[in-house]
Amino acid sequence: MTERKSPTAVLHEGPRALTDEQVIQIEESDLQAVLDVDIDDVIEYVHKDLKSLPDFITLYRKYLKQRWDVYELDFTQDKIDWTEKMSADERESFIAISSGFHHGERQVEIELPVFMIGASEEEKLHIAAQIEDEARHTVFFDRFYREVVGMPGDDIMAVLDASFPWVSETFVGPFGLLAYQADELRRNPYDERARVRYGTTYFLWIEGVLALSVMKVTLSYARWRGFLPAYYTGFTATCRDESRHVQGGMKYLQDAVRKDPTMINEIHDTLRTILSLAGVASRRIYFEPLGWTEDEVTMLFFQQLRRKLNDVGINLAPDIEQMLQFVQPQLAGG
Amino acid sequence: MSEAKFFSQEWADAVRDALIAGPSEDAKAGKLQEYWDFFELIKSMYPASWALGCRDLPPEIGKGPAYLRVQWAGGTVADCEIIGPDDPLDATYVLGMDYADWKALHDGYDAQRTVMYRKILLEEGSLLEFFKTIYFFVESLAVIGAVPAHYPELAVR
Repeated sequence: MTERKSPTAVLHEGPRALTDEQVIQIEESDLQAVLDVDIDDVIEYVHKDLKSLPDFITLYRKYLKQRWDVYELDFTQDKIDWTEKMSADERESFIAISSGFHHGERQVEIELPVFMIGASEEEKLHIAAQIEDEARHTVFFDRFYREVVGMPGDDIMAVLDASFPWVSETFVGPFGLLAYQADELRRNPYDERARVRYGTTYFLWIEGVLALSVMKVTLSYARWRGFLPAYYTGFTATCRDESRHVQGGMKYLQDAVRKDPTMINEIHDTLRTILSLAGVASRRIYFEPLGWTEDEVTMLFFQQLRRKLNDVGINLAPDIEQMLQFVQPQLAGG
Repeated sequence: MSEAKFFSQEWADAVRDALIAGPSEDAKAGKLQEYWDFFELIKSMYPASWALGCRDLPPEIGKGPAYLRVQWAGGTVADCEIIGPDDPLDATYVLGMDYADWKALHDGYDAQRTVMYRKILLEEGSLLEFFKTIYFFVESLAVIGAVPAHYPELAVR
């Protein structure tokens, strides 16, 4: 990889159409070729099908073609970049952001199975695939922290414990909510209103807004600087996986609202809770070493949320519009 | 003076005092002032009550499940008492946790993961309303866990 456009350039480009060649490159690249895929194109690709969402069997078939082997990644060059080329400030900013993903991927892996119980048979296939994706993403971060950052541990939880000091106190907002909503579904898996509330937290907020925004920060940095090729490859492949998850999640929410328009109230109530927490930060994260400012990351959040809502036709209540003005970046995703 | 026994009224009294005093300076260090301003804002207007249960109290402490009931009002703890399994339970939010996890919290396990890993669970009450003040709850749970008390050792299972 060589130095390319600045990390934040896409903020000023706005939505754009991908060429057929770009779509084919994103959809059909094997793991090695993912290194050459532009993360901005993958994030644009997430939105490509939101206006006419694919069905769950189509998403499942895409999964079968796109799944990748996390053990094929070679982190040797990443280790050299981390220890010899990146500055202490860059490493500190990077780990402050990536630790939210280290824990976020684990959370979205373990909280998803209960959602499958009340799903249609077709959606069950898609969710089963998504659980496997999330498990693979958990292993990806486990390997990155062990082999590149150098955090030892006897098992996956030990490495999670080692990176936890970098996780912000506000992580418990969306991810604690998801854990408790999963428990609500465990007790009553066919409660459709509880499922919509859960889906709003998981698919719209955590995956559609938090994950895609923050993924872009570290990936744009890696691409811009030409560092961390295995991280870039694995996490860009992760982003491609997330495109299926976001599309499946938006399809679920869209179908639920079309079937019962009062379900929009569940989406709104969940967003009210999430946004009442999203205006508070417990730590100051310095994005500048990675080529970003806090304002630019906030702008990215807004872009991601607006595009999801607009594309799937979900309108916000006026009080929620008001709350959006106070949102701050949440450094986590899954 | 000997330490109060976990889930005794003496312990509940000490919990009340600790919650009124709020997080220690050590706990506050390293977190932004805006986070603590939000915490104090919630505390000043929080009208709800928590019933924090221990599902499996060791026999030497008492019969389970028992609850620590904390009533907030006017920016302070209006009431803090132990509710036994045979007493009427009235709280805005009822939560439950195993004794081993209470002890782990006291021994230093962090309150954020106690919630996130579902060691403590909401059993009754509005989930979405409860989470609007989750930072206040988590920091308060950490305060409760840090109150000195005698926790009997667990029998090997």
